Amino acid sequence: MTMAVGAATVARARGLWLAPLILGLAILAGTAIGETRLPFATVLRTLANHLWDAGYPVDGIEAGIIWSYRLPRAIVAACCGAGLALTGVVLQALLRNPLADPYLMGLSAGASTGAVLVTVAGVGGGAISMSLGALAGALLAFGCVVALARAVSGGAGGGRATQAAAAIILAGIAGSQMFNALTAFTIARSANAEQARGIMFWLMGNLSGIRWEDVASCTLVSLVGVGLCLWHRRGLDAFSFGADSAASLGINVPALRGTLVTATAIMVGVLVSKVGAIGFVGLVVPHAMRFLVGTRHDRLVPASALAGAVFLVAADVISRVIVPGQVLPIGVVTALVGAPAFALILVRGARR
Amino acid sequence: MRVDVRDLCARIHRTPILTDVSLCIEAGELFGLVGPNGSGKSTLMRCFAGLRRPSAGRILADGADLARMPGRARARRIALVEQQADTTDRLTVREAVELGRVPYLSPLRGWGAADAAAVADALAAVEMTGFATRHWHTLSGGERQRVHIARALAQSPDLLLLDEPTNHLDIRHQLSLMALVRDLPVTRVVALHDLNQAMICDRIGVLHQGRLVAAAPPDEVLDEGVLARVFGVAGTSHLDHDGSRRLCFSHAL
Ligand SMILES: Nc1ncnc2c1ncn2[C@@H]1O[C@H](COP(=O)(O)OP(=O)(O)O)[C@@H](O)[C@H]1O
Ligand SMILES: [Mg+2]
Repeated sequence: MTMAVGAATVARARGLWLAPLILGLAILAGTAIGETRLPFATVLRTLANHLWDAGYPVDGIEAGIIWSYRLPRAIVAACCGAGLALTGVVLQALLRNPLADPYLMGLSAGASTGAVLVTVAGVGGGAISMSLGALAGALLAFGCVVALARAVSGGAGGGRATQAAAAIILAGIAGSQMFNALTAFTIARSANAEQARGIMFWLMGNLSGIRWEDVASCTLVSLVGVGLCLWHRRGLDAFSFGADSAASLGINVPALRGTLVTATAIMVGVLVSKVGAIGFVGLVVPHAMRFLVGTRHDRLVPASALAGAVFLVAADVISRVIVPGQVLPIGVVTALVGAPAFALILVRGARR
Repeated sequence: MRVDVRDLCARIHRTPILTDVSLCIEAGELFGLVGPNGSGKSTLMRCFAGLRRPSAGRILADGADLARMPGRARARRIALVEQQADTTDRLTVREAVELGRVPYLSPLRGWGAADAAAVADALAAVEMTGFATRHWHTLSGGERQRVHIARALAQSPDLLLLDEPTNHLDIRHQLSLMALVRDLPVTRVVALHDLNQAMICDRIGVLHQGRLVAAAPPDEVLDEGVLARVFGVAGTSHLDHDGSRRLCFSHAL
């Protein structure tokens, strides 16, 4: 007993400094590897120049690539990975459904619709940015899904909690389909072939437009997300046996669901607005981490955030180097890795 | 805990499920709740646990209005073992029981020695200490039910609510579970569908179409008239050779 507690404490203490280290290495790798081969020494020198004015002589163009393109891109990739994985953790725990992820809640579909309406159909007349459109779309779709789920389960207060969770999944599927149809409709109506290709690329996830301006908001939402999930870790644990069980353990279920699901929606809205809809991270990473660290959220939340971050940085690197001279949408890479991984999880789940 | 139920009504979508239930459960009592399927046993249990707000009437827990009690404070005093609660999470038995300490923990207050002791005691009380590291999905139905009870006991409740705890168990596990429940030193309310199991209760309440039609010791309540009127069966009550009463049922009416 004491041994188990001791071991857990040691593991946590080790995780405390191991996590930033792994994350730092991943971001460093994301900065060092890319379409153009740059010597690793140049990468380190450039970072040193910017971080503590080391004053090494480096090539201006190379330094620009490293500092202005690759580093913010790697940081944003890490934030997105962490945020999307956390969203999966939260939705899977609160809705008691292993298939819950941002896609299923209509968040990604809504964000795409918002972005497409702004960029292609010209909604807002240039006054609103694509990011804002995507954020609005994500929140709108999410609102629709929640409203529909409430209508289906006959008012959230009365119905059995499990029913409500099933209803929200079904509502999410319906909402996603509708918003995807709207996106397709908008593209078909207003976009020319070139625009359509660009949009398709963005929809599959695209980090190439990321600059330092995007880093702050992404870092903020993902850090707040991690903090909020850790703060409510015991509440998330209490959902193990369903919402009624959580309520009988003194958890204010509507309040916790409301807070975390809304935070999730905002987080995904912001992230998707920056990088497009990246699939499978929110679905696969939490499941993989449950196998590794168990279902307790004091470990699952940091582990998923870290794994999501590293996974997406790695996926971004792969997307840049796998086809020489061409950058793949990152969503293609996450799906190619994620879909088989997900199949594996399904098979293993069915076996036990 | 002394539980005072006054003129309790509960509705779901305007359909009255419980009507004017008034009842007093004494501290330390083992109170059985019987009634046919759909008579409102689970609904009453959920009202007791604070999961359902009564549409009228009050429940007083040691004089304090349950509706005004904050969730965490309530969960430290009242624990519920639901009729069915399962999980697909890969939890160990200990982790499942540790959930019972959630009402005592806060984001900043971590796990302490008192929590560990409560969990160990709860596991011992249901004789599941040896199963602590087993995974939930490897347990049998009876073992799961014991873990649920341990989780509830880890809440250190004054009132333990058990909703049909012997459902889906074989006869040996039913009897050993009821023996376990009988010996727990807290106030217990147990919803039961097996009337013979209800005979060990100090008192039983009979629910019929959402109304409490009787609340008294089992010997006094379960006679031929109640069996016919409430449960719709022809049955008789016999005095066993050990002095306890047994019900025998012959056919549905
Ligand atoms: N969520 C619900 N929505 C509609 N009716 C319900 C709901 N829950 C229970 N009921 C109804 O309330 C009545 C009492 O149910 P319940 O308390 O579960 O009975 P018991 O536990 O005695 O079998 C039943 O008629 C049931 O159909
Ligand atoms: Mg019931």
